[in-house]
Amino acid sequence: MFSDAYIIMKKELKRLFTDRRTVFFMVVLPLVMLPVMYTVMGKISQSRSADIRSYHGTVFIAPEMQKQSPIYEEFISIINSQMNVTINEIPEAYIPTAKELIKEKEAQLLITFPENIDFAFDAIQPFDIHVFYNGASDYSSYFYRRTYDAVNSLADTLIYLRLESLNIPTEILTPVTANRTISPELVNLAKKGSEVGKVFGVLLPFIIILYLFVSSMQVGIDTVSGEKERGTLAILLVNQVDRASIILGKLLAVVCASFASAISSVVGLMIAGRYFLKDLFRSSAEMSDFILGADQILQLAILLIPVAILLVSLVLICATYARNSKEAAGLVMPLYMVVLILSIGTSSMGETVPTWMHYTPIINTVVGLKSVFIKSSSWGNVIIAAVTSLIFSGLLIFFMIRMFKNEKILFRI
Amino acid sequence: MIEILDLKKVFENKKKGTVSYKEALKGISFMCKPGEIFGLLGPNGAGKTTTLRCISTLIKPTSGTITVNGFDSLKDDRKVRSVIGFLTSDMKLDGFFTPDYMMDYFGRLNKMSPEDIAERKEVLIKELHMEEFRNKKIDKLSTGMKQKTSIAISLIHNPDVIIFDEPTNGLDVVTAKNVTDFLKKYAREGKTVLISTHIMGVAEQICDKIGILIEGLIKELGSLDEIVKRNKTNNLEDVFFKYLEVQDV
Ligand SMILES: Nc1ncnc2c1ncn2[C@@H]1O[C@H](COP(=O)(O)OP(=O)(O)O)[C@@H](O)[C@H]1O
Ligand SMILES: [Mg+2]
Repeated sequence: MFSDAYIIMKKELKRLFTDRRTVFFMVVLPLVMLPVMYTVMGKISQSRSADIRSYHGTVFIAPEMQKQSPIYEEFISIINSQMNVTINEIPEAYIPTAKELIKEKEAQLLITFPENIDFAFDAIQPFDIHVFYNGASDYSSYFYRRTYDAVNSLADTLIYLRLESLNIPTEILTPVTANRTISPELVNLAKKGSEVGKVFGVLLPFIIILYLFVSSMQVGIDTVSGEKERGTLAILLVNQVDRASIILGKLLAVVCASFASAISSVVGLMIAGRYFLKDLFRSSAEMSDFILGADQILQLAILLIPVAILLVSLVLICATYARNSKEAAGLVMPLYMVVLILSIGTSSMGETVPTWMHYTPIINTVVGLKSVFIKSSSWGNVIIAAVTSLIFSGLLIFFMIRMFKNEKILFRI
Repeated sequence: MIEILDLKKVFENKKKGTVSYKEALKGISFMCKPGEIFGLLGPNGAGKTTTLRCISTLIKPTSGTITVNGFDSLKDDRKVRSVIGFLTSDMKLDGFFTPDYMMDYFGRLNKMSPEDIAERKEVLIKELHMEEFRNKKIDKLSTGMKQKTSIAISLIHNPDVIIFDEPTNGLDVVTAKNVTDFLKKYAREGKTVLISTHIMGVAEQICDKIGILIEGLIKELGSLDEIVKRNKTNNLEDVFFKYLEVQDV
């Protein structure tokens, strides 16, 4: 039985891997898609933020009479040191026009001061500065945020001034701080690479499951329902090979193909990681830290091979029942949704999960994969996940063989 | 040698909750001997394909027994398949491969040694005139070439029993002649050949024994001469229409 299955598997693999289109969609595309996508996204967001930072803006300040105020002078110097703008002081009457210009994105900001701010400060009367901006303009929003910061640092400066004039030490403001006197590298005690693993722990398990499923759908439906539909399966059925070998051979071929696809998507993601870790996740961790040990790679293999068999069995059982590829796709789609939701849901969960999750197929693989990536896996749970996947695959394969032997299903009209 | 005894086949059709039954074969018996071409002649829907599928173990009989070279089709289905070469016109080949590769593939599935496969391949390629296209993709071949390839693949293991559903269906005259000559040659070599056809000419020209199958029942069985004499007519066509008319009334 196994030698026949092997012959069939070899033929199916030859068919898959000498077909340029299949190879492109299964191996090349996942490998290059993510890096290209993230590189392009990274480049766009980089050049965009560089553009915003280098933009020279126009800021209106009203009213114009504050010339002699030390507080006003201080504020202007903070603005000038932090922002690349031309400051136009305008009379009150000009405010509506300034607002109109900001609305039309001709100018970016309008800052209005109340009267006599120095007097208010001396009298310990809080005063409010109004900052008008245009939320639909990236430049305007950027200057608005910077102005906010500028107002905060003005407030700090004023507090220090006030304390000094009262002869009170400024330390009174900060009785306690955190990690001021120790360097950040010494504080974070995470295992080397486990932080990158945390990002990957959310992403990778579901990307792997997704690619395994999508690619087994792509090739699995065709090798069974497609052959049924085209009439090429019959010639195999009238030969002396038994049906179990046919199913097994096809199953193994699809497992190999979907595995290849999942692996290349992971490699693609690793390459992309170099870019997107920093840009998209603002993580300080380095990709080069993320290196798995032999133990962890072994655990990955023990998790992934059974789940690949399980997912392929799910696809093939639908493909066996269906009369043609279209019907098979219709049957597989809801399963795909369920698997997708399960794996996204599970991978975004916290580190401790309820016990039942360790015994539920697919979910336990996602949990296991995640634990491997954050370097907190346990052999017990990995093996439980592998065994449950294999038990369920065994059941599905058993039913598939039964279906293959059932003429009502094989010759449905 | 194929022996069929009281073969019945009932199909169950489930459509929109209601189950209907179709009695495709109502108890047929006949025997095909080595060295003979047996032709199952009947109009469309008579049950010819169903009979051949039962013999080749693609589907199971509802009742009755089928033995092929002494093997029971239910108990020894694998052995039955190993002595049969089964062909139908709706059995397609994967167009992605070449005839040469497919012959190797099925040879190996039939547990032949590489030497036997190579030897057998050369014989078939020569007999069926496949030299020119043996290494072309099946997709690129004409209908006749594809049919020859199917034949070569089905006969790669040199089966004792050849079963062919509508052998000349959809073929041009030259290829059709090629195929029927081939079948005759095999019968002469002592193999058991069973074909189905709805074309009287085919039955008349190549079959040593004919069974007229109508509505799941064998109405006539014997050599062409016997059938014609028994019905006191001049040719097979008259006999055939006699049964079709009876049925119409
Ligand atoms: N799988 C099936 N399910 C239900 N009915 C079928 C099936 N296969 C054949 N039949 C019915 O059995 C009868 C005989 O069909 P078939 O053997 O294909 O006839 P023939 O080959 O002589 O044209 C037809 O009425 C056909 O509709
Ligand atoms: Mg037919």
